[in-house]
This record gives sequence, C-alpha cells and structure tokens, in this order.
Amino acid sequence: MNAPKRLKLETPTKPTLTPILADELYKELPLIDVYVGKIKDPKTTSKVVVELNSVLPIPELTHLKRVRGKEILLFPKGDNDEDDCLTVLKQKGFDVDLIESQVRVIAVAEIPPKVRKQYEVVHKLWPCNFHSNAYWEKLSTNSLFSDSELEQHAKFMRIAIDICDICSVRVSAVVVDPVITSVVGFGFDQTSDYPTKHAVMVAIDEVARSQKGGVWPRHQNYDKIQSLLKMKHENLQFGFSTSGEGPYLCTGYSVYTTCEPCITCAMALVHSRAKRVFYGVKSEKGALGSSCKIHIVENLNHHYEAFAGLLETECRAVSCEQ
Amino acid sequence: MELTDTEQQFMEKAFEYAYEALAAKEVPVGCIFVYKDEIVALGRNTVNESRNATRHTEINCIEQVTDYCRDKGLDLGAAFRQVCVYVTVEPCIMCINALYDLGVHSVVFGCKNDRFGGQTVFDVGSVRQAPTRIKGGWRAEEAMNLLKEFYKGVNPSAPPSKVKVRGKKT
Ligand SMILES: [Zn+2]
Ligand SMILES: [Zn+2]
Repeated sequence: MNAPKRLKLETPTKPTLTPILADELYKELPLIDVYVGKIKDPKTTSKVVVELNSVLPIPELTHLKRVRGKEILLFPKGDNDEDDCLTVLKQKGFDVDLIESQVRVIAVAEIPPKVRKQYEVVHKLWPCNFHSNAYWEKLSTNSLFSDSELEQHAKFMRIAIDICDICSVRVSAVVVDPVITSVVGFGFDQTSDYPTKHAVMVAIDEVARSQKGGVWPRHQNYDKIQSLLKMKHENLQFGFSTSGEGPYLCTGYSVYTTCEPCITCAMALVHSRAKRVFYGVKSEKGALGSSCKIHIVENLNHHYEAFAGLLETECRAVSCEQ
Repeated sequence: MELTDTEQQFMEKAFEYAYEALAAKEVPVGCIFVYKDEIVALGRNTVNESRNATRHTEINCIEQVTDYCRDKGLDLGAAFRQVCVYVTVEPCIMCINALYDLGVHSVVFGCKNDRFGGQTVFDVGSVRQAPTRIKGGWRAEEAMNLLKEFYKGVNPSAPPSKVKVRGKKT
C-alpha cells in the first residue's frame, strides 16, 4: 500500500520551463494562393521549368519547388480569376500548349518554414525547401536544456524565492554568471525607496557595482541575506569572473526572477545585454510573453532568451504584480 | 512643432545637459523635469560612469523628483501626474514605460530614437494604457547631430560647431 507513495518520493518531478519564442518559431506559416497547372507531356518538364523560370520567376517564393510530379507552380494568384491565368502566361511569352488548359488554385507557404514542425505542415501542401537550424529546433521543441541543466536553473530560482522569503518581498532577481555558476548580484523590490527600484533594476545595479560602478547604496541587509543563502545552499558561489576581457554589463549572464519582468525591466535587460532570463510567474504587465516580447523586438541591437514558468508554483506562493 | 517661450527655455536647458553628456563621453541625451513651472530634476545620461546601462537621464531625473517630493512632503503619485518632461531624444522603451507607470503629464522631445525609441522602435503605448501626452521634433536635427557625433567618436566638446548649431536653431 505504501508503494505508490514511495515511488513518488523517489522520482521528484523535474523542473519545467517554457521558452518564449518569436512568433516565427512556432506560429503556423501564412499561406498564399498560387496557380498550379498540369504539364501535358512529362518529357517536357525541364523545358517547361526553364521557360517559366525565365519568363515568370517568383523571387518571393524561392523556398518552394516549382514542380510536383506533373504539376507545376505557375505564379501567385493576384486579383484576376483563374481564366486569366493562361492569358497572363501567353502575354509573358510562355507556350501555353505545354500545359493543360485546366488550371487550379492551391494554398502554399508564403514564407520559408523555420522549424521542422512548420515544414511538415506546409510540405504537404506543396514541396518546400527546408534548412534545419539545430538551435531553433531545440528552442522550439523545448529541449535546449538537459535534466541536470534544468536542475541548475531551478536551483538559482530557489535562491530568488528564498530572497523573497527572507526579505518579505514579492519580487526578487538573481544575476548569475553561468560559466562559473556564481551569483554576481541580486536584488529585490525596493520601489518604496524609488519607483525605479524594481527587483531587476536593483540586481542590475549590483552587477554594475561588481564592475566598480553602481549608483544605489547596497541594501543594508545585503550581506546578511547572502550569508543566510550560503547557509541554506551548500556550495553556493558568489562573485564574478575577471578572466578574459573582464565582465561588461550583464553580457553572458543569466537572470532569475520570480515574476515576469515589466517593460522597463525587460528593456533594462536588453540595455544590459543579458543572455538568458528565467521567470516564475506570468504577469499581466509582463513584457516577456504576456503583453509583449521585448527580448526579441526585431529592430533592437540585442536580444536574449526568455523562459517562463520555472518553479511557477513556488514563485506564485511568494510573488507577483509589480 | 510649436512650443511656448517657456517650453523653449526648458528644452534649451535640456540641450545644455546633452552637450555636457557629449563632453563627458556619455550618450548625449539631456533632460529636465518640470513641476508647476519649476525645474525639479535635471541631468544627463550617466551610463558609462556608473557602468550601469539603465542610468538614462530620465531614470536619474525620476529619482531626483522622488527626493524633491520627499523633501517638500508632496504626494509622489500626485506630483508625478503634473510633471512635464523635456528631453532632447525620444525616451527609450525602458524610460517611456517608467514615465507611463508614473503617469507623467507630458513628454516633449527633440529627435527620434532609432535605436531604442519607445514609440519608434517599439510603441509601448500600443500595449498599455498611457495617459501621457507626447510630442517630438523640437530642434530634432541638432539633437540627432549630437548623437551622430557621439557614435562617430568625434571630439564632442568642439565649441565652434556647438555655438553655431545652437545659434542657428534658437
Ligand atoms: Zn519592472
Ligand atoms: Zn531610456
């Protein structure tokens, strides 16, 4: 009778998280209508393709193959109806006798697929080129991290949760140098001090302090909190690496925060060149998935990875709404 | 765009700090916050000297206003809602969101911010409620030239061009 319970104890659930992806990495691809004709004599296929490519190249659809069996992709359907298709071909100087007079319209992928899942959908509609990108595949299938790496991320999120507990605040942030698995700085909500002192902003200023900068005086209990954390977490490292060219802002660093950062904090992390941001609970005002995705705004000169839902239940217990 | 004489003077002040930033090898953005026709915060970017990429002039000014309100025993929320911000460059995504959070009355800026602008690069106002009135374009070319000079790495404090440009526009 005790067996199931014991089994449960022996297999602690492994931490989970969800990558917050750019739309292009998970959304269904937009489709576009194209005219498709049938080649009368298969022996003329290559001739038809060469001729069509010369009189009617489709530069915007180069991800699509021109031919499927006897079928040939003619050109994207505009506003004209199907009867006009052959007229257009004739006007362009194409020998329409090479294809059947019957032309049909089908929907095909308007843009190239980025990940295999999208490829498999649109390839069925019309043959499509696809260049698999290992990193995008891992990100989009949520398999970027090994179990031990997930455990490591959870460990740092637990530090953030402990800081909330110790300080009786709802939001905290921990900045980690993943190369040396060390906490470079941490911060927690001090908006009663200045409205700008969101947890992430305070943590960023702590990182600045580690680089002989920073503007806000360190919280009076900072060292005390640090020793409490050290007592609770064996082998927890604090400090930064000075190897190589030395640290610059939050370059290469991971940030763990109990609550989804707001637009200000999310953009502060862009300015600071953070590498990865992990958060526990989603927030209505959150800028890493909820209200927008600041970490992947196309025209910004720096992007970072964002992951939601790490130790969500535990974070929810302490967290939210900044 | 049109500004009252007083507003023009406020912008002139903001530009002074932008020039100061350039001379200090900081991104040349200057800003002043006005509360009931009184300048209650002023300054420039201090990103390099603080090694903190979030120390934009608006963030620095928000903290000055907080100190001011504490000093005068003013209600922070109420005071910020009457604050007018004059800044030489369109606030970035980070700063405009902070200003929206505080519900400042208005923002007047010089040139657009092509790299980080909170309207131009990503329109923060499109994803949240924002009571703040924003208008831009005052001495835009001059503000943009300051940025260009900074990113070119040209000696910032060359007085002749400074005098010339400012004389021409004001
Ligand atoms: Zn925030
Ligand atoms: Zn800014």
